[in-house]
Amino acid sequence: MNIMKRIAAIVTFAVITLLLQSCSAQTDKNPWTQQQLMKPADLAAVLNNPDAKQPIVFSIGPQAVIKNSTDIGPTGRSSNLDKFQAQLSKLPKDANIVIYCGCCPFSRCPNVRPAFNLLNEMGFKNQKLLNLAQNIKVDWIDKGYPLNQ
Amino acid sequence: MRKLLLLTAFFCFGTITMAVAQQKTLDVGDQAPEIKLATPDGDTIALSALRGKLVLIDFWATWCAPCVKEQPELGKLYRTYKNSSFTKGKGFEIYGVSLDNKKAQWENTIKKLNIDWIQVSDLKFWLSPVAKLYGIQGLPFNVLVDRNGVIIAKNLHGQELRQYIASMVVHDN
Repeated sequence: MNIMKRIAAIVTFAVITLLLQSCSAQTDKNPWTQQQLMKPADLAAVLNNPDAKQPIVFSIGPQAVIKNSTDIGPTGRSSNLDKFQAQLSKLPKDANIVIYCGCCPFSRCPNVRPAFNLLNEMGFKNQKLLNLAQNIKVDWIDKGYPLNQ
Repeated sequence: MRKLLLLTAFFCFGTITMAVAQQKTLDVGDQAPEIKLATPDGDTIALSALRGKLVLIDFWATWCAPCVKEQPELGKLYRTYKNSSFTKGKGFEIYGVSLDNKKAQWENTIKKLNIDWIQVSDLKFWLSPVAKLYGIQGLPFNVLVDRNGVIIAKNLHGQELRQYIASMVVHDN
């Protein structure tokens, strides 16, 4: 009986794990891969270390809050996407590029996909999307990470 | 089995406490902290100047898609109830606080959406002290306050908001 209960528990656990995985698998249709998502803590560490090689950081959302980032404006608007393309055309294809929006979770964000698609289409090799899961307030400002003054 | 149950209970409890801790800052029954910010024309309107009325403090921004989508609904509420009497105030006002950072865009959107209720902003985006004061974790966010400036509801939207406001209407006769 005890063994049956234990098996039931294991099966339940496995089902829940599978369900959770299928939820996260939905992100597969995004233009970025899991490896191209950068943790905010990692970018903050690089920005705080003057000896580290600095990436080129673009804000493709409402405001360039992050230290040393360049303000493109929301790339959900085609005029801003054109502006982004003009900036990118000056960079080598192997440039370390980090983009961020931070308006809201990626599922609702109108800006991250057009910008990341553009990077892919232009043939860049080392682009990352900053993984601001909720928004720039909660996942960057509230953590005390470096800001553009 | 018991271990698993305990583990699950512990996990759930942890998640709930975290969720509660995030929203801890302001609660129903608290006094709504004072806000005193500029309108697009440069006049300053204080939240406390609206005492006596039922007031919806609507935190939004032009860069927040669901917020923009909600504005016409708020407009309907405003026009329906601005002169109504409520159990918790006389007249209804919306105090729109924008977390925008570009003045032109803020002004243009106000015009485009025909917003005819109070709009204020310090144009400081998420760095606005008001965001901290109200413990806002994401937009849209709103707070409904009574005639004394006490919070009576938090983050009601759509039908929930309409029903709640309608339930407080006093019909004179």
